[in-house]
Amino acid sequence: MHIPDGFLSANTWVSTWIISIGGIGYCIKKLSKILREKMIPLMGVMSAFIFAVQMLNFPIAAGTSGHLLGGVLAAVLLGPYGGAVVLAVVLSIQCLVFQDGGLTALGANMFNMSFIGSMGGYVIYNSIRRIIGNNKGVLIGTAVASWLSVVLASVFCAVELAISGTSPLQVVLPAMALVHILIGIGEAIISVLVVSFILKIRPDLIYNSKGE
Amino acid sequence: MQHLYIDRYAGLDSFIHKIDPRIKVITFFIFILYIVLTNPFSYLSFLLYGLVILFLIAISRIPFPFIFKKTLAVIPFVVLIAVFVPFIKRGEVLASYTLGSLRIEFTREGIVLFWAIVIKSYLSILCMILLTSSIKFTSLLKSLEKLKIPKLFIMIASFMYRYSFLIIDEAQRMQRAKKSRAFKNKKGLSAVKMLSNIAGVLFVRSYERAERVYLAMCARGFQGEIKTLDTFSIVPRDIMFLVSIFATLLLIQFV
Repeated sequence: MHIPDGFLSANTWVSTWIISIGGIGYCIKKLSKILREKMIPLMGVMSAFIFAVQMLNFPIAAGTSGHLLGGVLAAVLLGPYGGAVVLAVVLSIQCLVFQDGGLTALGANMFNMSFIGSMGGYVIYNSIRRIIGNNKGVLIGTAVASWLSVVLASVFCAVELAISGTSPLQVVLPAMALVHILIGIGEAIISVLVVSFILKIRPDLIYNSKGE
Repeated sequence: MQHLYIDRYAGLDSFIHKIDPRIKVITFFIFILYIVLTNPFSYLSFLLYGLVILFLIAISRIPFPFIFKKTLAVIPFVVLIAVFVPFIKRGEVLASYTLGSLRIEFTREGIVLFWAIVIKSYLSILCMILLTSSIKFTSLLKSLEKLKIPKLFIMIASFMYRYSFLIIDEAQRMQRAKKSRAFKNKKGLSAVKMLSNIAGVLFVRSYERAERVYLAMCARGFQGEIKTLDTFSIVPRDIMFLVSIFATLLLIQFV
């Protein structure tokens, strides 16, 4: 889902950049109030964690392999603001060092993956968790939010490509959505297994673990 | 600090490597902007951009195979999205084929758009690779900070860079430990479950590490700000580089 340079029209990438800069500024401000000086080391090490997790490959059918995107996982563990900031840092490093996604498209990639994917995912997770409650709510919330956030992020990606005139919506939307409906299933399974493991050994590390 | 993969060719001693990091970042960002904003029909401009980039790669002495291998990162997206473009863009029909009940049409507009997308993304990725391969990662972050990217964001990124080596090492150690205890590489859900447990342990260990790092920083007088020694200096050569690239880009516009 990392859009390279040249796929988006100027007004699309400029406006998504502006939204993303504003959004990240807001998240960092919120976080520095909650975590204070602890924010820098915690967010830094957690970004390294998400980065490392994305390197763990697991086999899927027919010789292909996939990896975790980690948007909802980061938000479940670190909260909506922490999740968005961690994903934004990881995306920036991937753009600069590994050329995953272009420079002009970085704003759009941040919008899709850290705001829709991680923060939006948290909203879905949190509302399900509130309705069901307990650990069961956490796990079901994680599953639904992981799947839905991956699909939603791909839908936004498709819409941005369509607005840019790269590809008409009726072609790019089903293509992106279908691929990510499948990817989302893997994402949901792994996120749930990771969260259930953490619930067993350190339940206090889940964000807002008392459910207030 | 240098890493074998990330900073593989950052230690070379060429003209490109010697340019002040701030000037280099600005120059290549402008270059990418020019590429992205170029009219799709100006074929000659793209050719000239490509020649300029190839020339810069040649004088940077970074091996071409290394750079071209890295450009492969752009392919999946091009294959997934751009291949449809020639068929679906409406316009003057160049050729049409009938496959059963399906009618496939190539349009002139579609092909131009396809070419523009592919060449723009490829040239931009070449620029980014040349920039980040000729600069140490720590200098890149420092120059971004000098260019007014928020300091908090840069500090988080520099922590991420430092700890990613440790955490990736830790993940590899855990996988080695799993193998050495004769876990067969099972397929399906049990393999996924094993991997998830590794990720879970990795998270707990990373979190605890972050707490220890924070306490160690507090013990050394950390109050929410990191002070670094600044050693960047802009010399006439840097200005010359910026001006000559910018002039070339302007000239290419008028060709």
